[in-house]
Amino acid sequence: MGNSRWPFVTSGLGLALLVWGSVWGLLYAPREVYMGDVQRIMYVHVPTAWNAMLVLTFAFACAVLSLLRGGWGWDARLEAAVEGGVVLSALLCTQGSIWARPTWGVWWDWDPRLTTTAVLLFAFAGILALRQFVDDPVKRAVWTAVAVVIAYVDVPLVYFSVRWWNSLHQLQSTPETVSRAFHWPLRINAFGVLFLMIGLVELRARLAWRRRAAESAPPLPSRVAMAAGSL
Amino acid sequence: MRGVIEGGWEFVIAAYAVTAVVLLGYAFSVCWRLWRAPRHDGR
Repeated sequence: MGNSRWPFVTSGLGLALLVWGSVWGLLYAPREVYMGDVQRIMYVHVPTAWNAMLVLTFAFACAVLSLLRGGWGWDARLEAAVEGGVVLSALLCTQGSIWARPTWGVWWDWDPRLTTTAVLLFAFAGILALRQFVDDPVKRAVWTAVAVVIAYVDVPLVYFSVRWWNSLHQLQSTPETVSRAFHWPLRINAFGVLFLMIGLVELRARLAWRRRAAESAPPLPSRVAMAAGSL
Repeated sequence: MRGVIEGGWEFVIAAYAVTAVVLLGYAFSVCWRLWRAPRHDGR
């Protein structure tokens, strides 16, 4: 794991894009015909959803590479990506709940899309908790990687839930399903969250790497031992 | 009932505020923990 400053630059660029896209979405994008101003939530909700899926897909790739090739680098990236995915999934559920209240009349419904997303959040949060309870680094790496591969089965279920089952939730937002007037703030915020998460996942992986190195480092000589040695 | 949602800015502001708090809070948390974590060379 390097010490270069590029993750800070990437995160800063992501935040700047998010400010730009959000100002555009809040102040300059037109109102939607049926949902009115409430539709402006889309400019943060959809980029969060896309990037949650992307980060968890990266976690899945790290898990497979960790199992096939080994190496602490993949385990560190896996931990970072799972944590980032949990943060984005929690944010996604909260934003969705806020959007559901004025449009559906309820804060939450056990609809297939919402249920599979909640399962995703709790499954990956559980994996983070699992890592805290395993002291052996080798077992921790293997168990986490296997758990991520199993939990990742839910990601395609989340994506296709609106097509496979009757759902209150609308179909996936794509350039074909979103009017041209709404494209730019949506895309700018999507790249904003993407750049922010690329930077943060790299920084979080460095943190995991340092903790792993500290686990394997020999303990510092105690004052008692040093004092005894000087006698 | 026209099937059109009127108003709702409080929900929009809430969604953007939650997004800002979570993303900025997480960014700050990662930087803070990394800054506090000892390097393996003891620094």
